[in-house]
Amino acid sequence: MSDKKNVLVVENLSYSYKNGDHEQKILDNINAEFKSGKVYAIVGESGSGKTTLLSLISALDKLQSGDIKFNNKSLKKISGQEFRLKYVNIVFQSYNLIKYMTAAENVQVASDFDGRKTDPNIYLKKVGITEDEGKRLVNKLSGGQQQRVAIARALASASPIIMADEPTGNLDEETEEKIIEIFKDLAHKENKIVIIVTHSRQVADKADKILTLRRGKLS
Amino acid sequence: MMANLVLAAFIIKSAVSAQMDYAKSTLGGTVSIQADMETIRETQKSELSEGNDPREMFKSMSRPSVSVETANKIISTHTDYIRDYSYVVSASANANNLETVETKGFSGKGNNFPGMNFPDELSSDSSDASLDADITIAGFNAYAYIDGVENETITLKDGTYFDEDATDSALISYEFSELNSLKVGDEFTLKNVYSETEITLTVIGIYDTSESRADANIIYMNTSTAAKFLSASDYNDGNYSVENVKFYMLNSDNAEEFVEKINADFSELSENNLKVTVDTSEYDNISSSIESVSSFADTILIIVIIASIIIITLIVTINVKDRRYEIGVLMSLGADKKNVIGQIATELLLVGTFGFLLASVTGTALAGVLSDHILETQVASSAEQSEKNFGRPGAGVGNMPGGSSNNSRKNQASKTTDMPEMPNSPSDLLKNRNETNVELDLNAKPEDYLLLFLTGYLVIILALILPSVSIMRYQPKEILAGKE
Ligand SMILES: Nc1ncnc2c1ncn2[C@@H]1O[C@H](COP(=O)(O)OP(=O)(O)O)[C@@H](O)[C@H]1O
Ligand SMILES: [Mg+2]
Repeated sequence: MSDKKNVLVVENLSYSYKNGDHEQKILDNINAEFKSGKVYAIVGESGSGKTTLLSLISALDKLQSGDIKFNNKSLKKISGQEFRLKYVNIVFQSYNLIKYMTAAENVQVASDFDGRKTDPNIYLKKVGITEDEGKRLVNKLSGGQQQRVAIARALASASPIIMADEPTGNLDEETEEKIIEIFKDLAHKENKIVIIVTHSRQVADKADKILTLRRGKLS
Repeated sequence: MMANLVLAAFIIKSAVSAQMDYAKSTLGGTVSIQADMETIRETQKSELSEGNDPREMFKSMSRPSVSVETANKIISTHTDYIRDYSYVVSASANANNLETVETKGFSGKGNNFPGMNFPDELSSDSSDASLDADITIAGFNAYAYIDGVENETITLKDGTYFDEDATDSALISYEFSELNSLKVGDEFTLKNVYSETEITLTVIGIYDTSESRADANIIYMNTSTAAKFLSASDYNDGNYSVENVKFYMLNSDNAEEFVEKINADFSELSENNLKVTVDTSEYDNISSSIESVSSFADTILIIVIIASIIIITLIVTINVKDRRYEIGVLMSLGADKKNVIGQIATELLLVGTFGFLLASVTGTALAGVLSDHILETQVASSAEQSEKNFGRPGAGVGNMPGGSSNNSRKNQASKTTDMPEMPNSPSDLLKNRNETNVELDLNAKPEDYLLLFLTGYLVIILALILPSVSIMRYQPKEILAGKE
């Protein structure tokens, strides 16, 4: 990939959900910097706001206060759709696969609209899904296999930022190792910004940098 | 299915406009010699004011008849206008020693000439001699022109048809034949009521009529034979008078021109208070039924288009709802909403195109079924109307005087079982004629297909509006969160 140094900056980011009449502050004035070529792990208790932070960085949620900048370009200046298409790819906690498509089609689907033609089997193979399994509908695959298909879909993307929400939650230790290696390769060999949300200490320890989210603060 | 109906409607529409032109050229082009009622009324008024007896006035008036020479002259000098013609000769005869069928008594003998809608007072047979007449002589150019044949109340029971070449051949009723034990090929003699001359006729056919009040004493024959029963003055040394003269135009556009020319060139018409006029009644009947098919097609078209838009909108909305999650995922991966809508539109247009192609095949058949149904009811009602005015013009039957008589009547005759097989069966001609008059050309034209596809795509695009608006409102986070 490119040798260019990409940088994602989170500035004074605050976020709160309105639950009825009271506001629940999830993120409180967060500052962080993510650089290409590195794997970041975000850890935190369940409900601490890790997914919310990922949603904001991937422009799935609108910013309330503060800013997110990619290479000094504010997320406010471009549409969320364009940001997702060009810069960021997410592996969702809930996989978000299209259940009436095969594994291969799910991997293919992202590259369909960003205009690149890719062979999904290359990426499926990386995450340990055989070509045969790739021809099956995703809801005929196990939870762990589905998670790996979701990761393969992210691998197939050309985005400089890869984010993963609990990507190893359903995987056995051996597969987990493999997946971590893939993410590390993405950062180290392909010069991407890799952000992994996890509650697994083992996964976090393999990252280049660990950030902890606690009571709305990131440290 | 929808596309089917749309195409059917388009085919009907375009067939209608083609048929209107065709109808104009075939039906509008009937020119007939009629009494110039305006002039007659003018004369009556002035004569009445002079204190004349109106009854005497009626008697002195003649039916709108012209000499056969004039008629033939009009025909032979205007072959570039006239495609066909017909006229009748009406007379009476003395039954001589034959029995006559007792009439069911509604009309005086000898005066109920078929197809004449003139009051008895106007009849030229007003001399005393006709009172002795028991037989009505009806002379037509050919069997096919007999009114009963045209409105299908008369059928041929035995024998065959007569035409202009069938000299001294007569078509008699079944009752008359039974009463006098006459069979096909037999000869019988009638007397001219004026000169008492005996005229021998050969039975060429025996007819049966479904009309209960019909006079069984009507004997049909060709015009030249019928003329022999006229009075010496009416016979006029062979230049006898003919009535109900009709000319069928080659091209109806020329009808007016023809009328003007005839009225100017043949002064003997106006001398007898006659004039030629364009008879548009048949055309009006047919064209109104064709127009109703067209407006029916319009209605179908509008209903179908609106229904299509609603149904396709519903289908697409349901489809989009079903694929909400997929759309959310695609959007979370960076898919543009416009791309998503475009994708759905592409799928729909592909399915649509397939559907239109299918409809192109089946729509023609549907158009046939629909328009047949409408025309059936329409033609039935217009036929009822035209029964009130006698003497419907026949198109395409008959021949020119002196022309090769049989060739023009040749037709791909479809045989009917109760008819003797004849190469030029007039009844078959009539059947074909009635069908072609009201049959629409339902072969779809390229414009129909073009219109179908354009409308189809327009319907799809319109049907996409609502689902597209709902897609534009989609928030990927909410969709995905809803699934968690
Ligand atoms: N759409 C939402 N509306 C209201 N509250 C929400 C919504 N999404 C998450 N929350 C709340 O925000 C907090 C953080 O959620 P989340 O970011 O999913 O935490 P984590 O991923 O760290 O477990 C939780 O308390 C959760 O209940
Ligand atoms: Mg979470």
